[in-house]
Amino acid sequence: MKFLMISCKKATWLVSKKEEKRLSWHEKWQLRAHMALCSMCRRFEEQSGFIARMARQIHVHETLSDTSKEKMQQALVREH
Amino acid sequence: MSLPLLNPDRWINDYADALYSYTLPRVNDAALAEDLVQETFLSAWKARNSFKGEASEKSWLFTICKNKIIDHYRKKARDITQSLPEPSTPDGLFDESEHWLPESQPGQWDMQQQPTDSKEFYAILEKCRKKLQEMQQAVFSMKYLEDLDAAEICKVLNITSSNYWVLIHRAKLQLRGCLEKNWIHAK
Repeated sequence: MKFLMISCKKATWLVSKKEEKRLSWHEKWQLRAHMALCSMCRRFEEQSGFIARMARQIHVHETLSDTSKEKMQQALVREH
Repeated sequence: MSLPLLNPDRWINDYADALYSYTLPRVNDAALAEDLVQETFLSAWKARNSFKGEASEKSWLFTICKNKIIDHYRKKARDITQSLPEPSTPDGLFDESEHWLPESQPGQWDMQQQPTDSKEFYAILEKCRKKLQEMQQAVFSMKYLEDLDAAEICKVLNITSSNYWVLIHRAKLQLRGCLEKNWIHAK
């Protein structure tokens, strides 16, 4: 059975490919077989998905200093 | 000249903070984000006569800003001379038989975190993103924050799709490892 298995390195690569929906039928099968037996690669897939979800939801509320805004205003006025 | 639909006098007051908040996580560099916001206003001013009022003033400014950010990635990619990784480039995470090295094995994460903790998560994500190589940072931002597809990203950065796959995959491997070392819920 072992000789049929893909490595962890290959499995993580396929996880990234899967996220972009680019797996062939054969690769899907290989990945499923690997995932059934490898808890570390299962974690990798979950965590990789989590990072992607969190990154898509990045929202920051930052404010520029008054000095910076003043500088921008002056640069804009110079263009008038 | 009349500009009935635009209010340039109020731009900085009304939109500087919003544009800055949009730009900062995308370029992950405060000084650069500020420069890009300033350039956005200057370009908008120069292009004011082409504004037809089809979009709101706000979304028009955001479109200009988004283009500035993508231009920045494009220029950056042009300046980078370091060679792009191939699938065979070692990543230092797997052993010769391609199993996880003991120190890089994924541990258990608590991903059910509360909103107060997500602030902490983002602070660490920001630090970890800074540790990525520049091309990895660019690809990561364009994919997850700008939501561009692979073909567009390759075009902007002038890279092959094989380069793209390796960059995005390596970025994820590195970020995962960095988060695991630094984020409390990954211990």
